[in-house]
Amino acid sequence: MFFTLLKKELFVEFRSREVTLSMLVFGLSIILTFAFSSNVSPVIIANYAPGMFWIMVLFVAVIGVHRSFSYEKEFDAFSMLISAPIDRGFIFLSKWISGFIFLTIMEVLIIIPFFKFLMIDFPSQPWVAMGTTLLINCAIMAIASLVSGIAMRARLSEVLLPILLFPLVSPVIIAATKISGSIMAGDPYIFWQIWLLIVLTVIVIFGLVGYTLFDFITEE
Amino acid sequence: MNTFLNNKTNRLWFILITAMMVFNVWNVIMNTPMVPEQHWAQKIFYVHVPSAWVGFLSYFVVMIAGIMYFIKKDDQWDDVGLAAAELGTVFMALVLITGPIWATPIWGQPWIWEPRLTTTLILFLIYIGYFMMRSFGGHVERVKRYAAALGIIAFVDVPIIFVSVKFWTPEIQSHPQVEMAQQPSGILTPFLLSLGIFTLMYVLMLKYRIHVIRINNRISADV
Amino acid sequence: MLSVSNISKSFDRRTILKNVSFTLNEGETVVIMGKNGAGKSTLLRILARIMACDKGEIFFLNNDLLKGSPSVRRKLLYLGHAPAMYTTLSAIENLKLALTLRGTPMDISRIQDQLKYFGLSAQSDDPISIYSQGMLQRLKLAYAELADWDLLLIDEPFSGLDTEGIELVETALHRWKELGKSIIMVLHSLSRAEEFGDRILHIQNGLIE
Repeated sequence: MFFTLLKKELFVEFRSREVTLSMLVFGLSIILTFAFSSNVSPVIIANYAPGMFWIMVLFVAVIGVHRSFSYEKEFDAFSMLISAPIDRGFIFLSKWISGFIFLTIMEVLIIIPFFKFLMIDFPSQPWVAMGTTLLINCAIMAIASLVSGIAMRARLSEVLLPILLFPLVSPVIIAATKISGSIMAGDPYIFWQIWLLIVLTVIVIFGLVGYTLFDFITEE
Repeated sequence: MNTFLNNKTNRLWFILITAMMVFNVWNVIMNTPMVPEQHWAQKIFYVHVPSAWVGFLSYFVVMIAGIMYFIKKDDQWDDVGLAAAELGTVFMALVLITGPIWATPIWGQPWIWEPRLTTTLILFLIYIGYFMMRSFGGHVERVKRYAAALGIIAFVDVPIIFVSVKFWTPEIQSHPQVEMAQQPSGILTPFLLSLGIFTLMYVLMLKYRIHVIRINNRISADV
Repeated sequence: MLSVSNISKSFDRRTILKNVSFTLNEGETVVIMGKNGAGKSTLLRILARIMACDKGEIFFLNNDLLKGSPSVRRKLLYLGHAPAMYTTLSAIENLKLALTLRGTPMDISRIQDQLKYFGLSAQSDDPISIYSQGMLQRLKLAYAELADWDLLLIDEPFSGLDTEGIELVETALHRWKELGKSIIMVLHSLSRAEEFGDRILHIQNGLIE
């Protein structure tokens, strides 16, 4: 059932491309704003780059996850999922994993403009950077999908989503900035392993909590 | 309709706890020894730490109430959750006010990203969102489930937030109350006493708040 | 087969359904009638587990529908006002997905046959966002024909249809009745209610009469 749902998420997105496209364009405009608002020496920007990157990802994730849940309300489509005889936890998992995939696609497309516009050098260990980024995406999307599932039926959901999400996701953002900063500076793994542990904890805990809670919060 | 204090036990506890609280304030001001470098500023810890303890306890109650609400599907648990969330936020606000009062003379600035204080701030912000959800989220019946879910994930997030903030700023020293246990009994005993009295006060406040929320619900339902 | 006891539902403390109880026997068709806003659709959505009720119990085929496992709602089909399908997907894709989620995957040829019967074969590959109200109504009927259900919850099946469409609904309803299936239907017209319903429940002020 999970793969049917995931396939549906990917297929709907493949048809409209609205989630990835809006994420990408929004991400680009954020980078542009960063570039304009931090017109200082490249050394300073290089220090702030990990923070900028993750702020951008967080904003973009909000857009993506909100869109991914709000198209479910058109034509009452969500009813098809929640009245079906399936474990509603799978709906959470499919939203989470599809959100993770869309976020990753967005990052792949945006990473070169990000480095080039802000005039910073690529990290010396690109594979490590990619691997950790995937895990962080996964953690951010776990919390974002859960919060979005809670907020989707509420009024003002587009306001409530970032207000609830940003403080909840703060450990991941701290960890993400630390990990990326360490990798950019070429620090050894031992320096940032604790942060990886925090990211993994978030993935496991919010994955389980989301899976369990979705049965109770999806109903109108 | 019975008012809260019409109940004999409630009245007894109210009087008892008020008396204990007055004694607590007197005890802290008059009987506790001065810490040399901190002078009067240190006294605020007799309020600050119990407030933090009660605030976290209260948010823990919100989580338990949320879980019970989902299991039992009984509105009684939603009343408990709402009351505990309100009280928790009041005490968290107290922590965030008393912290800077102490920090200004001692650290020379009102805010430092100390792990406990930061965790408190983040939780406080999550709960601002919680109350926004409660008030603007839509029908009261629907919002109850969302509030219960939020209460659960907020508390689940606490240890993760705490650990991450702690390692984020390892150079910042922890609060001195970490070493409270090693303090001479002149400080430790009144501190523990204050903690106990605050906890008792919290329980009574929670009971009172649930009472008020239930009356409120009944009035709104009759309209 | 279905027993509903003491279902209550309020919106912002305004009671819509107050201790609604009724039972439905195997093969029975029950028509729910009432004014706009009386809570007819709300009741159907609660039975379909799309909307949460404030209190009460529902037993379907001797299983607890509200607290039991998801498989309890396998033999239940809900067709509401909105089609409950994805606007960007075509009729075929939507039906394929919906049927797979119900645990009865079906090959495209059978879906196409059914769409042809309901006069949708020309548009079966178009996204349903361009469908008219009547076409969506036909699509829902095709879904009901394909899906495997014992109890159908259907909200105003006649709305938005032309005469040809109305005939299709009537034939379908008669056939389902002959097959001994149970239906709970929301209708506005009393004559139709008397034609199709074995029993009529009126919802008024949150109570069932």
